[in-house]
Amino acid sequence: MEQAFQRTFDSLEEIFAFTQSFFDHESVGAEHRHDANFAIEELFTNMVKYNRSGRSEIRLSLARVDDKLLVSLTDPESEPFDITKVPPVDIQRPIEEREPGGLGIHLTRKVVDSIEYRHKDGCTTIKFSKNLR
Amino acid sequence: MFEIGIGKQGEITVAGRLDAAQAEKAQSFLDAIDGSAVMDCAGLEYVSSAGLGVLLRTQKRLMNGGGAIKLINVNPHIHNIFRYSGFDHIFELETAAG
Repeated sequence: MEQAFQRTFDSLEEIFAFTQSFFDHESVGAEHRHDANFAIEELFTNMVKYNRSGRSEIRLSLARVDDKLLVSLTDPESEPFDITKVPPVDIQRPIEEREPGGLGIHLTRKVVDSIEYRHKDGCTTIKFSKNLR
Repeated sequence: MFEIGIGKQGEITVAGRLDAAQAEKAQSFLDAIDGSAVMDCAGLEYVSSAGLGVLLRTQKRLMNGGGAIKLINVNPHIHNIFRYSGFDHIFELETAAG
């Protein structure tokens, strides 16, 4: 199941309606839905933030293979930014040393089971999987 | 959908999804809060990193004035996100019963 979404935060409502339809059809449980939606939002909004002026839509693909959810986001208009190389966040720092931002990739890696990044000819594809058992 | 308001006991009530599209609405509301406050999260389904940023910005501002925000009725999914962020050390949290 695949759909393209406009490059704006306002697409999130439409994205969550799309994922809900898929999760209902595939009988995906609440905990897995939450984590998958979380990762999808973080990855999608990153693609939006780093190229707000882009005109191309971002494609979201969802599939279930046995007990594994496979998600892919494709941005055909992007600069290289390998999210798998982002250093971990030190979550033990006190509030005085914490600033808003910088948690999205850290949290995405926490809630998914595997994540892959690919960039070629200006096109970024990020795939993640979530075990549904 | 995301809603934020003040409940009957003076607590902040939030419901729906606090995502990147709703962060500005939440921040505008919370910028008007002073002192200490309780946020009842019973109706809150989801918080993304954009929502965490709103809450952190608010907590820092309130703590600078000697106050703080306490979150109650936090669902297990959101509680996990707080733990993964280290925000369970920054906010007083009460999880939802059951």
